[in-house]
Amino acid sequence: MLEHLTTKSDIGSYALSVVAYLIAAVLFILALRGLSSQETAKRGNIYGIVGMAIAIGATLALPGLRFHPLLIASIVIACAVGAMMALRVGMTQMPEMVALLHSFVGLAAVLVGFSIQLDHVASLAEGIEIYVDVIIGAITTTGSVLAFLKLRGSVSGKPLLLPGRHFLNLAMLIAIIVLGVVYSRAPQVWSLAAATAIASILGVHLVAAIGGADMPVVVSMLNSYSGWTAAAAGFMLDNDLLIITGALVGSSGAILSYIMCRAMNRSIWNVIFGGFGATPPPSAGKAAQPAGDVQEIDAASFAAQLKAAKNVIIVPGFGMAAARAQHAVREMTDVLRKQGVNVRFAIHPVAGRLPGHMNVLLAEANVPYDIVLEMDEINQDFPSTDIAIVIGANDIVNPAAEEDPTSPIAGMPVLQVWKAKLVVVNKRSRAAGYAGIDNPLFYKSNTKMLFGDSKAAIEKVVASLKG
Amino acid sequence: MKLGIVKETRPHERRVAASPNVVAKWIKAGWQVDVERGAGTAGSYPDSQYQEAGATIVERAVAWGADVVLKVRPPEPMEINQLREGTTLISFIYPAQNEALTKRLAVRKVTVLAMDLVPRISRAQKMDALSSMQNISGYRAVIEAANRFGSFFTGQFTAAGKVPPGKVLVIGAGVAGLAALGAAKGLGAIVRAFDVRAAAEEQVKSMGAEFLTVSIKEAGEGQGGYAKEMSKEFIDAEYALFREQAKDVDVVITTALIPGKPAPKLWLKDMVESMRPGSVVVDLAAEQGGNCEYTKPNEVVEVNGVSIIGYTDLPSRMAHVASEFYGMNLFHFLDEMGGPSAFKVDHDNDAVRPALVLEKGEKRYPPPPMKKVEASPPPPKPPEVPKPLPVAELERPTTPGHHGPKPRAPSRSSGVAIAVAGLIAALLWLGLRLADPTAFSSIETLKLIQHLTVFVMAVFIGFQVIWNVTPALHTPLMSVTNAISGIIVVGGLLQGRGDLSNHVGVALVATLFATINVAGGFIVTRRMLAMFRK
Repeated sequence: MLEHLTTKSDIGSYALSVVAYLIAAVLFILALRGLSSQETAKRGNIYGIVGMAIAIGATLALPGLRFHPLLIASIVIACAVGAMMALRVGMTQMPEMVALLHSFVGLAAVLVGFSIQLDHVASLAEGIEIYVDVIIGAITTTGSVLAFLKLRGSVSGKPLLLPGRHFLNLAMLIAIIVLGVVYSRAPQVWSLAAATAIASILGVHLVAAIGGADMPVVVSMLNSYSGWTAAAAGFMLDNDLLIITGALVGSSGAILSYIMCRAMNRSIWNVIFGGFGATPPPSAGKAAQPAGDVQEIDAASFAAQLKAAKNVIIVPGFGMAAARAQHAVREMTDVLRKQGVNVRFAIHPVAGRLPGHMNVLLAEANVPYDIVLEMDEINQDFPSTDIAIVIGANDIVNPAAEEDPTSPIAGMPVLQVWKAKLVVVNKRSRAAGYAGIDNPLFYKSNTKMLFGDSKAAIEKVVASLKG
Repeated sequence: MKLGIVKETRPHERRVAASPNVVAKWIKAGWQVDVERGAGTAGSYPDSQYQEAGATIVERAVAWGADVVLKVRPPEPMEINQLREGTTLISFIYPAQNEALTKRLAVRKVTVLAMDLVPRISRAQKMDALSSMQNISGYRAVIEAANRFGSFFTGQFTAAGKVPPGKVLVIGAGVAGLAALGAAKGLGAIVRAFDVRAAAEEQVKSMGAEFLTVSIKEAGEGQGGYAKEMSKEFIDAEYALFREQAKDVDVVITTALIPGKPAPKLWLKDMVESMRPGSVVVDLAAEQGGNCEYTKPNEVVEVNGVSIIGYTDLPSRMAHVASEFYGMNLFHFLDEMGGPSAFKVDHDNDAVRPALVLEKGEKRYPPPPMKKVEASPPPPKPPEVPKPLPVAELERPTTPGHHGPKPRAPSRSSGVAIAVAGLIAALLWLGLRLADPTAFSSIETLKLIQHLTVFVMAVFIGFQVIWNVTPALHTPLMSVTNAISGIIVVGGLLQGRGDLSNHVGVALVATLFATINVAGGFIVTRRMLAMFRK
């Protein structure tokens, strides 16, 4: 950009915009820092908004540049569209929304890369930067779109396992590198476009191979990619603000993926390439087949049990989100708390389809966050709990993870609900969880099943509690 | 099996080994309980209450003839003669300091378990009578100090003038020290504490007290949660700190003990002399020689108007609650030994074996080193943290919410970040080198290296910041980072300059999508965060 500077005052205002970029970068760091607790989170978000406003304002104020007037129009239109999407989305659809927005970042990065390509490519270094930006952007875009469709249920959550898929991935990667060498020698549109196409297929294939239970990891990985792609764009455009911001987002997503993987006791490679959750090894499935029948309980007698309880822990899972039962659950919590029952929530790190998904849903239903605890905080309390209520969760409360070394989820940290005096499991049907593994919890002698749609079932319990 | 609760004969001892409450629990568990006539009277537990609880009121000789005799103080010589051969005696014994007593007991061929030797492991906390008594001592020390102190602990503004809050310094933040901090804080005083053990800092702060430190770093952790003796330099620095504090504080409560040694002299004569008249020193180490040079055990000394309280019977001054606590400790201890049906001395029980002094007259003290049963005895767990005692509600961290420190891995992840950044840099360098040998002379490459520096720094900061995000906010984190990554809009803007052409058109679309992301991301985050309420 420096080549546009002609006068002294231009240099002055350029320096000013550099300072503005710095301030914006600091504000973004403060925004992330604010999220360290619920008290400061809202302020953090405001820092982010202010930072973004400064960044856009400073860019538009750069000296010596004549921006196309349609840019302003597109910003205004986009703000309206974005606001509408954000205001209309339900909290249960949050995972889809996040995935979709990731694809937008990826798409924008690809387009910016092509825009420079169509403009002019100044040097070898710039060529490489464009190439990297476009490739990561393309993977992010198509991967996120597929993740969006999977989360919405438009595409089956089952992993797609093509024969020789590792070989396929490798072949695509090699093709991208070869095209990259070709492109860097003579930066032409055709090679860039071909590489983009391959990267797009790669993005789809990578996400297609990942099972529904691993969706939290996928979403946070795509989050990370969208950050790296912004950083790559920063290299391409000589813009430090993009680099800093992209790096922040990239590392944020990377850490989230790491935390999710640790919560499932699996390595990141295992998640990315594993095709986990398709078909558990038949031998393991047989060995772990628990004997016995499940015992059912109806809403009225469950309510009676609840009335007599002192300590209750509720473990929500994706089933609660799917049935939109969080308000009913909150109502049950309120009624019980009014009667002096100590009700708390136990959240497994991978419950739901997004990291922290359950917390958001419970917050939406006005459950106070100080009774919503993490696994590490509450797991030791189950033995002193009268009733553990599992609502639409399966794998995260599966005792096989601890008891059966041949189980596919062996070693994964789980919530030890079975240590409570009574476990009531609400489930729509007797189907296995997303991981496709049978759950011995259902057959334990202290477990009672409350079959039915979470919302309807819990509402019935609330009615009997009040009656 | 019959338990005998005998009356304490030591002058001024008001405690009794168990309250009627505890006796009722024993009866329910299947023990028979004999209580000596008048045993609980001094602790405000009349005989009638023991009878209601199911005990039999008996004469002295009968109580001493029970299968298990329960007591608070070590037995007096004349009491020892009343012990029957084969009886089990459980009380405070202090065998290290009382060798003669142990020998005399051995002659009677009795089994003796010392409550003061119950190990400080987490499993045995409910039997830890020393901690129970220290907790009471700490509280009572504040009450005794307040009694002698001629002013308010809490600051007051009245029509007649204002009174600043009293300042209380507690030296040694063990069980007694923390209880004292809690009590003084509860009365409204400004509280400070000093301890050589670094682990004490967090506990002190959790009580809402200030933690004083000296500039010299030296670990003061010794065995079993106690402190060890410190170096001369450290002690000098400590004295300097105390001299400074002496002029400022109104009440000093010292609780410093080193196991098996006389109490360290920490509050010297000149410190007492520099205190304001009317100030109070309570020395909880008086029985072991005292932390203050002026201390006289069981007496109150006055020097220049400063009172130095050396009472050694503080728990006995709160005999009612002390008997209840001690009784509960005994209850859990007997339970650990098998209860009425399976009562025995189990040498493999790591909570019981260390307390065994004599077995049928045979010396069993000191115990052999135990097999490592507890997963990790060192570092010594400060015994006071999980105590469900009166100070418990004050021990909760004052920070809002429930999110305590989480296991973090910043060092590991920043290592990974550095490695990744280094790898990228190396690959780029290699790629450029291979593609264009003259690459390093170009200004573009210089810029690249500059950007790389910024990139690495930003990744590093990102890793540091993100580890602090509470897991409950991971979804808002994702949506806010999503919004922020819409910063790519800046790229779209920069490409959208000049007249409408192919590349400007593409940039317009890029701007459109990036801005949707920015607006949508921030608004969604706002919506989500607005829902989190306490």
